[in-house]
Amino acid sequence: MPAVVVVHGGAWSVPDKLAKAVVDGVKMAALDGFSVLERGGSALDAVEAAVRNLEDNVTFNAGHGAVLNADGDVELDAIIMDGRTLGSGAVSSVKNIPNPVSLARAVMEKTPHLLLTSRGANLFAESIGMATVPTDTLVTANEREKWEEHRSYVAGVTEDFNSKCAHDTVGAVAVDSAGNVACATSTGGIRNKMVGRVGDAAIIGCGGYADNSSGAVSCTGHGESILKVTLARLILSHMEQGKSAAESSQLALQYMGKRVRGAGGVIVVSPSGQWAAEFTTVRMSWAAVAKDNLWYGLESGERFEEALPH
Amino acid sequence: MLPVVVVHGGAGHCPKERSESAKKGVCAAARAGYEVLRGGGGSMDAVVEAVTQLENNSLFNAGCGSVLNIKGDVEMDALVMDGQTLASGAVAAVRNIANPVQLSRLVMDKTSHVCLTAGGAQQFAESMGVPLVQQESLITDYARMRWRQNLAPEANPVECQMGKMGTVGAVAVDVHGNVASATSTGGILNKMEGRVGDTPCVGCGGYADNRVGAVSTTGYGEAIMKVTLARLILFHMEQGQSAEAASDSALAYMKSRVEGLGGVVTVDPQGHWAARFSSAQMCWAAAQEDVLHYGVYAGEHLTENITTPQ
Repeated sequence: MPAVVVVHGGAWSVPDKLAKAVVDGVKMAALDGFSVLERGGSALDAVEAAVRNLEDNVTFNAGHGAVLNADGDVELDAIIMDGRTLGSGAVSSVKNIPNPVSLARAVMEKTPHLLLTSRGANLFAESIGMATVPTDTLVTANEREKWEEHRSYVAGVTEDFNSKCAHDTVGAVAVDSAGNVACATSTGGIRNKMVGRVGDAAIIGCGGYADNSSGAVSCTGHGESILKVTLARLILSHMEQGKSAAESSQLALQYMGKRVRGAGGVIVVSPSGQWAAEFTTVRMSWAAVAKDNLWYGLESGERFEEALPH
Repeated sequence: MLPVVVVHGGAGHCPKERSESAKKGVCAAARAGYEVLRGGGGSMDAVVEAVTQLENNSLFNAGCGSVLNIKGDVEMDALVMDGQTLASGAVAAVRNIANPVQLSRLVMDKTSHVCLTAGGAQQFAESMGVPLVQQESLITDYARMRWRQNLAPEANPVECQMGKMGTVGAVAVDVHGNVASATSTGGILNKMEGRVGDTPCVGCGGYADNRVGAVSTTGYGEAIMKVTLARLILFHMEQGQSAEAASDSALAYMKSRVEGLGGVVTVDPQGHWAARFSSAQMCWAAAQEDVLHYGVYAGEHLTENITTPQ
């Protein structure tokens, strides 16, 4: 079975000055995730590693580099899911955690629950000895500046999302050589969001879903729209009906555009190693690694290919 | 066939004297929802009215009568969804609110978000002038007794959970063919602080889409999440299955794939409805064409005429 890792760095109108940084970032994260598979790691290990890499990169809105909410605070959402068991873990509105995806994995592996929120999620992090960082460590000077500009929430989230200033969710999907699929998604949400706002990223079937019998998906874009159509689960239902990963993604994204006027992007793998990276936003940074090749892109229809560095 | 409302008071099993009172409770809630519909009200108004009644009834695990978390506190989840627009509102791990279902509706109507959690949800309630209530007013002696019992190291809260009627919910179709769903819960007995179950997650605790139907779910929340039960039922209906067949096959799948038991109420836009469960009991009631239908045990289906409003 061919092992594959696909990552995204968010679907939005990425400004030109960030274009190189986001493409370099997703390429590095995809390679990082793939190296885990090459060392015999599982799909679950690979998506966690890839997303951690993106969380640690301040270019992306997750972990370090997250956007600020209406109070100027960082509240993070993340999910991880194992397609073998449908086991899943998620955290929403958690603070001071540099790698929420790893906390989500701990929720999956160390609690009887699937989703912990807010203070409860932080108490759990403390109980397992997970390191915390001050909020300021997670915030870039650039984000603080942007937040000041957008301080008045009257602009509304949809407008903000469509503007070039928003940035978005990261995620990864993978299939390992045993045919196990997994997904992970992590985000700081929407700039100036209300305190306690939870988007799609932490919600199973919306920000991500993984099932060995159909495939794995990680979503990005306008969170509220993704929630309304349960985007990840919708794509997999098309795949269950025999459609390809790319066709299922396009169908579901078009439906989301038509039904709730939401734009977004997705990455998908099937258990047989078929993969897709599709979006209806202006741009989405993505990268995929399989066999000896690295693919990546940013613009619609773009698909560059490189031989893997050795 | 229209209008119709179907409510549930949770899946599980409980002693006969409690199940008799629970039966009365769901019947009263179904009548209240039906009165709204008969008076020309929309399906959203009807499901919120029915669920509000169940939240106010201390027999049920929602609003007053909610189970307690490990620390002895009440943290509640709720969700509403409007099938016409796919608009949705939810609150997670909210405290000191008498009617979380009404707060969910405010999230849908008054914010650009879908889900607010914990302290943020409470702040929003205050900003909307929703009165905060003392936690004591939500706690029954029965809830406190069960919390104490389950603090014992050998206790099995998940098993014990099934000993009380759980989560409450309602689905409805109004005379215009608009569908809606609402679900509300105190969650699972002795849960960790901040634990969020299926209820506020779109596609898990409920879903509504005018093109297919509406679902509200109850049962083992973590299992419901893993299979996104509400959305799964509607996928089956999209493939041409009846409300009843779709509910049964999704519940059977949940049992075989993740060993979870639960129950659902389902309607399609034409007014066909189903109340199905894989647990030992689920108390449910439906009102349609001036007849009240209700039951608690598998195969039980009683009817009475709705002649005079009660």
